[in-house]
Amino acid sequence: MTDEHVIIDSESDFARSAGKQLAAYMAYAMLAMFLLFFLLSELAAMVGGSSGRGAIDGQSNAITIAIRQEPPQLDHTRASDSVSFTVLTHAMEGLLGYDNDNRLVPGVAERWEIRADGATFWLREEARWSDGRPVTAHDFVFGWRKVVDPATASIYAFIMYPVENAEAINSGELPVETLGVRAVGDRVLEVSFEQPTPYFEKLVAFQTFLPVNEEFYEATQGRYGADADQMLYNGPYVVSEWIHSASMLWEKNPLYWNKDNVGFINVIDVAYITEDVNAKLNMFKDGQIGDTQLVASMLPSAMEQRWNIERFMEGSIFWVVSNFRDGRITRNYNLRRALQLSLDPVEFVYKVLKEPGYMPGTSMFPYWIKGAEGSFRQEHPPIEHIPDVEKAREHLELARQELGIDEFPPLVLLADDTPVGSITAEYLQASFARHLGLEIRIDKQIFKQRLLKAEAGEFDILVNGWSPDYDDALTFGDYFASWNLSNRGRYSNAELDRNVRIGQTSLDSAERMRAFAEIQRIAYEDAVVMPLYERGWSFVVDPRLKDFNRRVVGPEVDYRFAYIDVNDE
Amino acid sequence: MSTEAPELDFTPIRSREESQKISRPSLSYWQDAWLRLKANRRALVSLYIVISLLLFTLVGPLLWRSDPAFQDLDQISLSPGSDRQAVIVADYVPWDGAGGEQGSGLRVVDVATTQAVKLKWDPLPGALGHRIYRNRVPIGPELALGIPLADYVDAGTLTHEDRLDLHPRDYYYSVVALDERGTPQRGSFQSITVRVQRVITAQDAQAQGLIPAGEEVQLDDTVRLAAHPLGTDYLGRDMLARLMAGARVSLFIGIGAPTIFVLFGVAFGSIAGFIGGRVDQLMMRFADFVVALPFLLFMILFKVAFGIGPGESGVLPMLIALVVLMWPATARLVRGQIVQIRQQGYIEASQLLGASRPYLIMRHMLPNTLGVVLVTLTFEIPRAIFTEAFLSFIGMGVAPPTPSWGSMSNEGIKNMLTTPHELILPAILISITVLAFNLLGDGLRDALDARLRNTE
Repeated sequence: MTDEHVIIDSESDFARSAGKQLAAYMAYAMLAMFLLFFLLSELAAMVGGSSGRGAIDGQSNAITIAIRQEPPQLDHTRASDSVSFTVLTHAMEGLLGYDNDNRLVPGVAERWEIRADGATFWLREEARWSDGRPVTAHDFVFGWRKVVDPATASIYAFIMYPVENAEAINSGELPVETLGVRAVGDRVLEVSFEQPTPYFEKLVAFQTFLPVNEEFYEATQGRYGADADQMLYNGPYVVSEWIHSASMLWEKNPLYWNKDNVGFINVIDVAYITEDVNAKLNMFKDGQIGDTQLVASMLPSAMEQRWNIERFMEGSIFWVVSNFRDGRITRNYNLRRALQLSLDPVEFVYKVLKEPGYMPGTSMFPYWIKGAEGSFRQEHPPIEHIPDVEKAREHLELARQELGIDEFPPLVLLADDTPVGSITAEYLQASFARHLGLEIRIDKQIFKQRLLKAEAGEFDILVNGWSPDYDDALTFGDYFASWNLSNRGRYSNAELDRNVRIGQTSLDSAERMRAFAEIQRIAYEDAVVMPLYERGWSFVVDPRLKDFNRRVVGPEVDYRFAYIDVNDE
Repeated sequence: MSTEAPELDFTPIRSREESQKISRPSLSYWQDAWLRLKANRRALVSLYIVISLLLFTLVGPLLWRSDPAFQDLDQISLSPGSDRQAVIVADYVPWDGAGGEQGSGLRVVDVATTQAVKLKWDPLPGALGHRIYRNRVPIGPELALGIPLADYVDAGTLTHEDRLDLHPRDYYYSVVALDERGTPQRGSFQSITVRVQRVITAQDAQAQGLIPAGEEVQLDDTVRLAAHPLGTDYLGRDMLARLMAGARVSLFIGIGAPTIFVLFGVAFGSIAGFIGGRVDQLMMRFADFVVALPFLLFMILFKVAFGIGPGESGVLPMLIALVVLMWPATARLVRGQIVQIRQQGYIEASQLLGASRPYLIMRHMLPNTLGVVLVTLTFEIPRAIFTEAFLSFIGMGVAPPTPSWGSMSNEGIKNMLTTPHELILPAILISITVLAFNLLGDGLRDALDARLRNTE
């Protein structure tokens, strides 16, 4: 009997001591885990938090911001994305530029003259590169030749086509030396035109027309613009540090000729490169960045935080275009017209997208385009679009007869793989299905792939957007020209082409605007394009940061004229 | 000295029939397993959940006949249980700015409805233009006026028609003066509180069948908008209908794929285990090779190989990818079992008694692996459901407008802060389903394990 007891006792003892040991192990493990977490978070803070200063630092006159993406490179002869253009606006200066009220102002050129056959720019003496060398006319000649050089393969080479021989050089028919631009001495730049280009002064404010110092360019051995020190700057800021995919540092350029009037903040710390709007919102809440964009779903909480929400029309317009290539049923006018008539951009923007910055599309020319005197759309109002499902169905029936088919094949809708792109595609899919009984297959692709497929014409209908390159109606007006490669649907109409030619070459601004009004009419009546919305953003800015701007033409965000007012908490 | 037989100290007990009787009914393997599963409450509840999920998927759409693709644009991102009274109004006509002459300052013309809020104001002193704001919270001392709706840079425009995402609630509108640069002068503004009424046009009400056929439509009548018990998503689609339609995809993949690949794994594993030797080695190395294949890459390759074009459903390639890539786990398990069983005494005994090969496999081997196989199956189902959800979440699965729980979560996460139900509902269903199958599998393993049979 006793033995048995002993055994049982020892067993329970064993269990107890084992339990104790286990508890001790657990405690050790927990402690180790806490330590590890602590260590890791410290490490992460050491690696990630590059500055540790707040969004606005009044004492050292510095701000911290975030940009959307890493610029592929800062070589403006090859740049084509808006983030690169934003950096270039701060770090470089062209012949002309824009002031804080979006007026064209002198840059490196102190005065200029535009003629029917060419233009002359007189450069200022005090313009300097960041290594102290003067900015000369030769730098512009070299830079422009680089852009049209077929070896550079610049996407934006077409923007230089008004310059004599640019198109022929770009297609490899002429040597680059024949480009219609030459330096007369160091300080006079002579440009000859291929055809009259009345809007040339607006054109040269675009980043593709920036100068490059030839000597420095050759010294970088093909790495120009790939790193902060592989570039020379002549703008209000220099990129003094560029940690790829992580951060950038822009510092005030002491050699900039206009430093008293442009660039009030000493240091702009681009501490974050992220596309994630939610992450940026959190950083803004924590006072880590000076401004951030708000999307529709963030607005209610932003209102409850009692932030001063700002709005800004970004200038681009998004639309649905049809494919006019052979073999596509969207070549049929009645089918396109049916799609157009069933579409209600107002319902789409106000009920589905719900973004306060967006404006329902009414024309292929955005609201801000200037006309001969005032606003283009006020001078030449677009045809009013009234959605009419009954009429749409009649056109669809006509299309069915013309095409000689019983059932429409599914239409492929190519769209971007972004939140707004997905909603757009799904709305259009349901809308066309409900009103017209058409089956739509959505082909969602990431931006680059979407671009490739759009270029190759692998779609029936395409949702895409167009941002202005320069401040003139032509930046939208020539989109559907038969020779324009951006015209993804390969629309070709002699009447429209003729009007584009007038818009490109006429010196009479009223005549040009009449031509654009004709383009606007043809685009609607032939159901070439169905405007969906003009894009705008809602955003918030730290109240201490003043005169921070967002622009329709040029950079998305412009800190060149911003300053800190610490009194405004 | 007695030779008589002594009184017996012990008398043989009379044999009793009863003791030989089997008091409890004889239980087969399956009956016993069922009894033990019934005793496991967790597993039983899980079983009921699985059954109700199947009912939800198969019978649900027959009871709740709402089209999962229909976009009810009057009720976008509706949370569950919202009020749905609406007043019938005439079709929308753009406002020409007429009316509202009386009154001063910022004022509302006509009735503010979810169709449009018409605002009119008198020019603010010194204004070269006006900006209209709308707020959801009353304007406090911070002078945060809410979202800027529109800028009118000409001082002559004194009307604004707001149609942006209006809900039946209070809004606080303000008008602010703009200076020559178009900058708002927050110092001078006027505000107004507006209560918005939910409305629907007569045409829409009829098209949606909200008015009984043959009944006259009267303006200003109240109707109840289409019911959405679980609310709607960001395009006004009925969540309940979408969850049911999504369950079909999720459960089709979740149950279809494991059934096929477990069957294949059983065949593969038992052949390898039974034949043994070089064949076994070869077959199992092949299984190892399959394990090493990257799943996501193969999923993409299958999609390409199948010629799944844009906008076509990727469910079939997903099923095939799952079957092709996930069978080795089952095959290994079954092979191990078979190898083990092959060396058991009763097999040898059976062989000595002259049992044929098919008899051995069918009578002794497969039934003994069945428990393991069943348990694997119940564990593979949640894994497949989860894989489907994951693939749909990253956009590799179904094509819109077909929903699946994964793609619904992906869409819901974008509006997580404002309308959490769009994410929470599918996420909860995924979690419950996966948990239920896991617990059921757990219970089945305990119930079917022959070694646990006599321990209780």
